[in-house]
Amino acid sequence: MFKDLDDVLKNAKSLKDLLAARDELTQKTGTYYGIQELKLKEEDPLKFEQFYAELHSVVLRAREHSRLITASPGGREMGESLWSLCTPDGDTLANSLGFSTHMVAYRKAIRFMIENGYEENPGINEGDIFSTDDGNTAGAPHPGDTYTYLPIFFDGEMVGWAAAVNHIMEAGAPVAGSWPGFAVDTTMDGLVFPPMKVGENYTPARWWEELWKARTRAPVFNILDDKMRLTGCMYIEQGVKEIIKKYGLDYYKRAIREVIEETRRAIVENIKTLCVPGVYEGTSFRVVKYKGLSQVWPHADKDFMLHTRMTVRISPEPKILGDLTGTSKWDYCAFNGYPGGADIAFYLPVTGNFLNNTKMTSGLFYDIRSYYPEGCTYNPDTPYAAFSNIWAQSMSMGALHWNALTRAFYARGFLEECISCEGDWAGIQGAGTLANGQQYGFTNFEQVGGVAQGAYPFRDGIPVAWAMWTQLCNIGNQEEWEYLIPPFFYLGRRLVKDFCGHGKYRGGLGLSSVHWIVQPGRDLYISRGGAGMAQTPFVAIGQCGGYPAPNSWYVALRNSNLNEKIKEGLPYPRSADEILEYVNEGKIEAKDLQIFKADPPQLRMEDGDVFSDASGAAGGWGDPLERDPYMVINDLNNEWISEKIAYTCYGVVAKKSSIDGKVRYELDVESTEKTREERKKARLSCQSVKDWWMKERKRVINKDFIEPVRYTYKSSFSTKDGEKFRQYYVGFWQLDKDFEL
Amino acid sequence: MEKIEVSKEMIKKLMDGVLSDQEVLMLQNSYKDHDRFLKYLEVLQERVPWDDKILMRLSEHVYIVQKKDTGERISKCTCGYEFGDYRVNWKLNCLINVRKTIEEMSEVYHPVPACPEPEWQEIREFFCPGCGTQLAVEVVPPGYPILFEFLPDLDSFYKEWLHSPLPDHGKYRFEDKSLTLIEKWSKEV
Repeated sequence: MFKDLDDVLKNAKSLKDLLAARDELTQKTGTYYGIQELKLKEEDPLKFEQFYAELHSVVLRAREHSRLITASPGGREMGESLWSLCTPDGDTLANSLGFSTHMVAYRKAIRFMIENGYEENPGINEGDIFSTDDGNTAGAPHPGDTYTYLPIFFDGEMVGWAAAVNHIMEAGAPVAGSWPGFAVDTTMDGLVFPPMKVGENYTPARWWEELWKARTRAPVFNILDDKMRLTGCMYIEQGVKEIIKKYGLDYYKRAIREVIEETRRAIVENIKTLCVPGVYEGTSFRVVKYKGLSQVWPHADKDFMLHTRMTVRISPEPKILGDLTGTSKWDYCAFNGYPGGADIAFYLPVTGNFLNNTKMTSGLFYDIRSYYPEGCTYNPDTPYAAFSNIWAQSMSMGALHWNALTRAFYARGFLEECISCEGDWAGIQGAGTLANGQQYGFTNFEQVGGVAQGAYPFRDGIPVAWAMWTQLCNIGNQEEWEYLIPPFFYLGRRLVKDFCGHGKYRGGLGLSSVHWIVQPGRDLYISRGGAGMAQTPFVAIGQCGGYPAPNSWYVALRNSNLNEKIKEGLPYPRSADEILEYVNEGKIEAKDLQIFKADPPQLRMEDGDVFSDASGAAGGWGDPLERDPYMVINDLNNEWISEKIAYTCYGVVAKKSSIDGKVRYELDVESTEKTREERKKARLSCQSVKDWWMKERKRVINKDFIEPVRYTYKSSFSTKDGEKFRQYYVGFWQLDKDFEL
Repeated sequence: MEKIEVSKEMIKKLMDGVLSDQEVLMLQNSYKDHDRFLKYLEVLQERVPWDDKILMRLSEHVYIVQKKDTGERISKCTCGYEFGDYRVNWKLNCLINVRKTIEEMSEVYHPVPACPEPEWQEIREFFCPGCGTQLAVEVVPPGYPILFEFLPDLDSFYKEWLHSPLPDHGKYRFEDKSLTLIEKWSKEV
């Protein structure tokens, strides 16, 4: 169709032409738009870099300006937002700080608009505002993530898109909040809309504002965020026009493609520098407990696990393919997703590991790709699958990808880049009615903003210091959350003792907050939107003998005498584990104490009730018996681990003493050495894997599993490529070739 | 970003956990040193108590080596225990402990609500039969096949990426041969 980029730039008449040319030339040549030489860069590298620095500067400033002009507290405080500049055909050129892999969705949404004739109907004109939060058509991970697109014109020619996204405070689903954990199909996802023109002449339509008011529970915040995204996009538009005036339109149109090809080349080099070709396997599980919760929807009334299996193949070219064959079939639950949204998780380790020495553009997408079998959790063969909380388990997919790369970095000796990666996070969400009748909805993003970092091969992970999904780790201010969510007060926030994956180096400890309900008014219902639940750890394989991190768990303490104890000036619990201690020791009496290892339903909360989370723990590295025993003693003295775990997991015997009423521990060297030797001996008397296999095989043949486990396997066997996983399963256990569970 | 010279001493310190956080940060922020792999292998070779040539480190204690006497490529533990052909999942030749109850699980996952749920999940611990070191952990549902965490394409890596093909290049086809061992087991059923 077009022979090269010059031909495209001269003769392409429409966005459709551009998109088709990009696809064809890139596929045919293996380089972006068939670009063989970075002519502009080679002719004047300083000019080229200055040009890009100016583009980047515009989007960086767009974020910092717009969130201070108009934004919800969530939009202002949290890292889950992004402003970007895209090419007319949807590739990203530059990103602000923030959740950068959202740029995956831009390609999907812009492609959808182009391929579905938006140029003709509704038309793409200067000043038009488009918005979407749909997974199927526009690559949104879930309806809480809302995108704005503003086309950029120069002298009547469309030269790009300004794009923005942020996680809004309430998505308008039956389960209040922004990650509904219960949805049977997409009609229960909340306010979901494909790319739509929602304004003209830089002005949002009146109906648009009314839609937010009518269909979500936090309209004021959501409208503020809508204006925030648009403000930043307009800032980008103006900035780009100035840059084109300075450099010329011809320079701009060629340079933006060279920038992307430059990134693609850098990614290829980085893979060769950091990785090892080969095959890397990983798996993860996420509990779904809908049994009894959904008796009005019999097809959803079941318990099972979502299985994510990822085989990362690094080929010598080099290319990386993340193959999800073996992953569960989509189901009647909230935790499905669509390929665009899933890719946002898949590419997290790429932005985290391969872009440090180049420009963050769509150049990263061309040699690193995902494969989601048709019908699986991440690629439902129906447009009606719910996707209200794909983040519940797609973060584990990102972590599997990350851990595969870590194995490669470790083999190459780049230990400084290796971490035991986990993807757990949590948010508290809900809705209520104040005493004056004011209704509201909310999400507390605290445990999304920052989680613990996993262990390195040479040091422990740090708590609340990292998040795989953003460079801007920030759990927000307690005060901000308290004023945002009227009846929620922080009674305490602290790290949870023992709550990590253990190892020679342990993961960072998870965090817990105690949310105290004070005068909720007429009613308050809360639930949890988050990633894993403790019933299954997320990442199923630890690093080098370390344990993968445990997942989130929750405590609801209702109808208790906590308020009386507080009035008496007595101590109160500061974390989920302390709540359990207080109840066990009789310091608090409660008629209703619930511990949740699977998603809780919406809970009605009254004055003096408490809801506490424990989340964001990270995984360990190496054999715990190889941990320096003095590091274990240090953990004991910092109250980061218990005596029990010091002994049972680390084989460390500590001498306990009390100085001025403060408990101190010292190492009992002799007993520790003896204990560790005994543990090693005990290990050497364990059965061989061969003997274990012989016994387990009988169990598999007898199908001796609980129904949720049976269902999980059956689900993985039933996607388009499920037969491959079934054959693998049959091969491993040497079963009849027709074996079914 | 700058390019820095990474010495063997620095690599040793990094491996031993005694490199300062500042120096680690410097390594993270720098362009990668292209000879890291070869220096890393030298450090590893100096530290193991045997003299088979290390071709790649798979895990804290598991290496792919070329046996000095036979030239075979096998996976091998630091202690000297040999797992056999590197293309067979070395975990299949380990010892195993499986934690199935809350009591067993709470020895390694704590507080108790953080424990995986029995029947839904089990914790598998893989030990070296030679030294008892815990080499791997899986937390999976009962009946889940043992995962082969990493099978490197050694020949492509050495020839195409390092431009230094192994002496026996082409002798070992890049393929997962774990099933050959399992098929042997099945004949003993």
